[in-house]
Amino acid sequence: MCAIYRWRYILAPAQPFHKHIHIRHRVLWMTKRSDRVGAGVAIALLLAFPAAAQTGQSTPVTKAPVITDTARLLGPRQPIFFRHDVHAGQDQIPCLYCHNTVAVSSEPGIPAVQTCFGCHQMIGGSTPTHQAEIKKIRDAWINKKPPEWTRVHALPGFVRFPHQRHIKILGTESCINCHGDVRVMPQVYQFATLRMGWCVTCHVQRNVSRDCTLCHY
Amino acid sequence: MERRRFLKVLGATGGAAAAASACDIRPEPTQHLIPYLVPPENQVPGIATYYATTCRECAAGCGLHAKVREGRVIKLEGNPESPINQGRLCSRGQAALQGLYNPDRVTDPMARGPNGQWQKLSWEDAIGRVQAKLREARGKGIAFVTGLESGSFGELIDGWMKEIGGRHVTCEPFAFEALREGNRLAFGTAAIPSYDFANARYVVSFGADFMETWLSPVAYQNGFSRAHGFDAGRAASMAKFVYVGPRLALTGMSADEWIAAAPGTEGMLALAMAHVIVTRRLAPVPTDVARVRAALDANAPERVAAAIGIGADVIVRLAREFAASQGGLAVAGGIAAQYANGAEIVAAVNILNYVAGQVGKTIRFGPNHALEAAGSFQQLTELVADMSAGKVALLFVHGANPAHSLPAAFSEALGHVAYRVSFASCLDETAAASDLVLPDLHPLEQWNDARPRAGVYALQQPVMQPVFPGTRHAGDVLLQVAGKTGTFKEHLQTSWRGVHQRYGRSRAFDDFWNEALQHGGVYADAPAQAVHLTLDVARAAAPEKPALGWKPSPDEPALVVFPSIALHDGRGANKQWLQELPDPVSKITWHAWVEVHPDTAAKWRVASGDIVLLKSSFGAVRAPVWITAGVRPDVIAVPTGQGHKAYGRYAKDRSFNAFELLSGAPTPYGGRAHVVSVAVATTGDHRSLATTEGDAREQGRGVIEVLSLERARALTRGTHPFEERETPRYADQALRGWAEAQREKASLGNYAGNQPRWGMAIDLAKCTGCSACVTACYAENNLATVGEELVAHRRQMSWMRIERYFTGGEAGRPVGAVVTPMLCQQCGNAPCEPVCPVYAAYHTADGLNGQVYNRCVGTRYCANNCPYKVRYFNWYNYAEPGGEWESWPDPLNMLLNPDVTVREKGVMEKCTFCVQRIRGAQNRARLEDRTVQDGEITPACAQACPSEAIVFGDLHDKASRVAALAQDPRGYHVLEGLNTQPGITYLARVVDAVVAEA
Repeated sequence: MCAIYRWRYILAPAQPFHKHIHIRHRVLWMTKRSDRVGAGVAIALLLAFPAAAQTGQSTPVTKAPVITDTARLLGPRQPIFFRHDVHAGQDQIPCLYCHNTVAVSSEPGIPAVQTCFGCHQMIGGSTPTHQAEIKKIRDAWINKKPPEWTRVHALPGFVRFPHQRHIKILGTESCINCHGDVRVMPQVYQFATLRMGWCVTCHVQRNVSRDCTLCHY
Repeated sequence: MERRRFLKVLGATGGAAAAASACDIRPEPTQHLIPYLVPPENQVPGIATYYATTCRECAAGCGLHAKVREGRVIKLEGNPESPINQGRLCSRGQAALQGLYNPDRVTDPMARGPNGQWQKLSWEDAIGRVQAKLREARGKGIAFVTGLESGSFGELIDGWMKEIGGRHVTCEPFAFEALREGNRLAFGTAAIPSYDFANARYVVSFGADFMETWLSPVAYQNGFSRAHGFDAGRAASMAKFVYVGPRLALTGMSADEWIAAAPGTEGMLALAMAHVIVTRRLAPVPTDVARVRAALDANAPERVAAAIGIGADVIVRLAREFAASQGGLAVAGGIAAQYANGAEIVAAVNILNYVAGQVGKTIRFGPNHALEAAGSFQQLTELVADMSAGKVALLFVHGANPAHSLPAAFSEALGHVAYRVSFASCLDETAAASDLVLPDLHPLEQWNDARPRAGVYALQQPVMQPVFPGTRHAGDVLLQVAGKTGTFKEHLQTSWRGVHQRYGRSRAFDDFWNEALQHGGVYADAPAQAVHLTLDVARAAAPEKPALGWKPSPDEPALVVFPSIALHDGRGANKQWLQELPDPVSKITWHAWVEVHPDTAAKWRVASGDIVLLKSSFGAVRAPVWITAGVRPDVIAVPTGQGHKAYGRYAKDRSFNAFELLSGAPTPYGGRAHVVSVAVATTGDHRSLATTEGDAREQGRGVIEVLSLERARALTRGTHPFEERETPRYADQALRGWAEAQREKASLGNYAGNQPRWGMAIDLAKCTGCSACVTACYAENNLATVGEELVAHRRQMSWMRIERYFTGGEAGRPVGAVVTPMLCQQCGNAPCEPVCPVYAAYHTADGLNGQVYNRCVGTRYCANNCPYKVRYFNWYNYAEPGGEWESWPDPLNMLLNPDVTVREKGVMEKCTFCVQRIRGAQNRARLEDRTVQDGEITPACAQACPSEAIVFGDLHDKASRVAALAQDPRGYHVLEGLNTQPGITYLARVVDAVVAEA
């Protein structure tokens, strides 16, 4: 038995579950909407965002630009104009603050609305455009309707990509290698091709396994 | 031109067409990512969470670990802490998932409208209606029919029925009435004791199918394989197993000796053996045996041998062996306990155990089985009589389907009941004839408990939110109907305060409760009780009634109805995994059959697949013939489980219902006779059986090797009795050169360094053929079920299959059967690999025969070249929603394992030793800066195997279990002469019999 490495006996009686997400052949599961409401109020994190200094992030503090024409931005339009350049760039929030399972699981994790609300309970935005977007996430929390993000990075269902192993080897700053520098992206777009040749190039350079069943099973 | 370039060119010319076709490789169709509102505690996306709960597929009450990914249960595994199943799980348990996600589940409360059509209604309305009917029915007769509920739910119903003057009847089609009555006759207690198979040194089964449906099959099979498995280091290896019964059941296939006693004479054989033990003083005989002395004398071997159909010398030999083993265990059940004299047969077998001094040793009263509390068939028939007489005004049915097991009588009686309420989650026959359906939660979604045996308190917790939000826990509904406060969970906790008082007084209740939830329950020992023969035990030895009312012959055969291992009493019939699971004996899928002996078939001039009309005085069915030497010539046998008139898309109108042939009158012991006289008429119709059997005989191909016990004992380390089957010597030089070339090739680039070589060892001395591994593989690897039509075309997808071959039968040799699991052998020199034009089949650095689905173009050359026939081709798109061959209609698709690709049409697939588990373990190990430990990876088949016959590991790790087993002198490779160098080592079966070496 492989008992020792199992996540067993975790005591939540019933898990959130939503059946309206149809996942068909070539299943690749992502985080699901929850219809369970948290008992407590989200912790109001008085964030001073000191994290950047702690992780030794080398990029200088950048001021995110004011975007007037969103139509010119690359990448799909999202239900909320969430700006990685503000959060990760200007405010220097580390990637793992929101995508917090990336170092332990194959799935990086999409932050729960609770995570957003943790800060935006306090932070309301300085300009009317910001305020309008932040209101959307506050409404999402109040109405218990999470936003439906449009997926940017997707792999075919026959590919397994263990995020945790890549973070383990390359470090928590290495997200940039595949996702591009989101600290300067007002709207996230697909940076790399994510095609197999692109994966294999890196595996060849680093002289790591290129076995097919590493990713395909 | 290289073959790969050839295909590239070919691809370029056909490129335009390909781009437009469906085989275009594009990213995942998932368009949106929907975050959690609040992340669930302790759950990480991508990592499974395991919850301990209890299996409710039969009365055994095995412990479960439910594997939950992102809020959905995707796999069930045995709970290693449960003293019942020790971490193992059978096919029916695995398939509980298909009950949970069944597409035919009732989603909301429904009531019959004025024109008889179903109308959905709200829960408040539904509960209001029940309360109104309850008021009306007070004093006019209220009855509640359930399956066996050994825990708090049963107590709730008992208490409520007492309160309102109703009665609670349990309906289990296999309720073991004869076992209870036989124990009462012999020992004065109607309890079902604990049978210690693990410590038995000699096992005789009088019809008991203890690896199939008898009481607690996983537990018994696990114990049995410990006793019966061959262990060269153990002094008294192995425990001999003798099976007595008119038909070679799965349990009988493991036997060293099959005695096809005439039906109904099993008791005589037991008494005759007891007679030998007593008269020859083979064991220290207890004094109270004098009470049965006369009965034993009446059953002396010479007197009864002819009736049984074996020689008196055989009886004497069996008795000697049984007594000499000093650890004999005789069990009676199955068909032997379903004759009219079933209770007497059980009592006779009890006497045999008693005179051999085994009662209190291998059979212990005290830790009694929960089924002792089950109702009897007699109670059900009494209820039916009352219903017909109009004495029942309100009937509740939960977890039982008597309209299927007692078709005519119950359905007729239902018509006389004023109001019928069903808690069924699928519209089975009983629910379909109801006025109101209140869909219950599936056991995996609800709180409950079970007491599978005295001292074991197994808890059930919801492992996920209900699949259908419109369903409700029957316990909650009942509490509301009864006007009581609180939820069923609170009721459950209240009743657990008693357990807390007994076993956890030192801790607070909440801590005790949480701990019990973590472990799946509370496991304690029950004190043993001493039993002695009763005063009127002699009555048992002189049956009042003959077993059968006539002497069976091929012209007037005895028809035996036996429980199906997969479908049980029919409750599994709407699960594709169980329908497609080949019966371990007949290998027939999706259909029932009638077993006929070759001589009888010749007499009737029928062939396999010919449809005959079986007519008893109670009903008639049309059944296809399956000719087998594993049944007596004067007996024909049919399985239960099929022939549903409702229940769901996979069960409905499929084959015939064997219960229709049986009498509805109870036997003297309150049970039901599963044997009946039938008239057989040929119809001239034929039906090709959807069988997965290739050849009924092994034909000496070396697929299954058998050693006699004597020879196996003589083997020493380093010897290889199967050497003669290996590659001829003249090929040695060529092989060496080939091996060198392989090593060079294999150590290039990132293949250099120490790679594991994954391998497996399968001990055929332990494998019983129960097929739990097959269903586990379906569950783990997203195997499609293809349906009867495609199975008939041999297009089933079972990566793991059980091959069954009959032995003996000619020249007076006894008939037997051998079984072996057959899966991809992960050849070191695989014939499939070099023929793949696109390198989809290739050799991985760690010794697997990889199969890259997205590379595969479906030439099927690999399957053509595979000598083991373990590659399976997707002829259709089984995952296409709404498609003709759809295998996972919504919401069944929720049980798909997200770690395994669902294959498309045109793709070859096969076993890869659960490569997703291997990679998962490697990922975990890498994260923790260590290497993978031996035993850390367990493929689904090895994990499920109730006999623990399968061991997986790294052959390069000399300290691993599998490396040691690969060196076992019993080890051999299937078709070794082909030089495929398989990664699977089979250990030859060992048979303790006069004739062996098939």
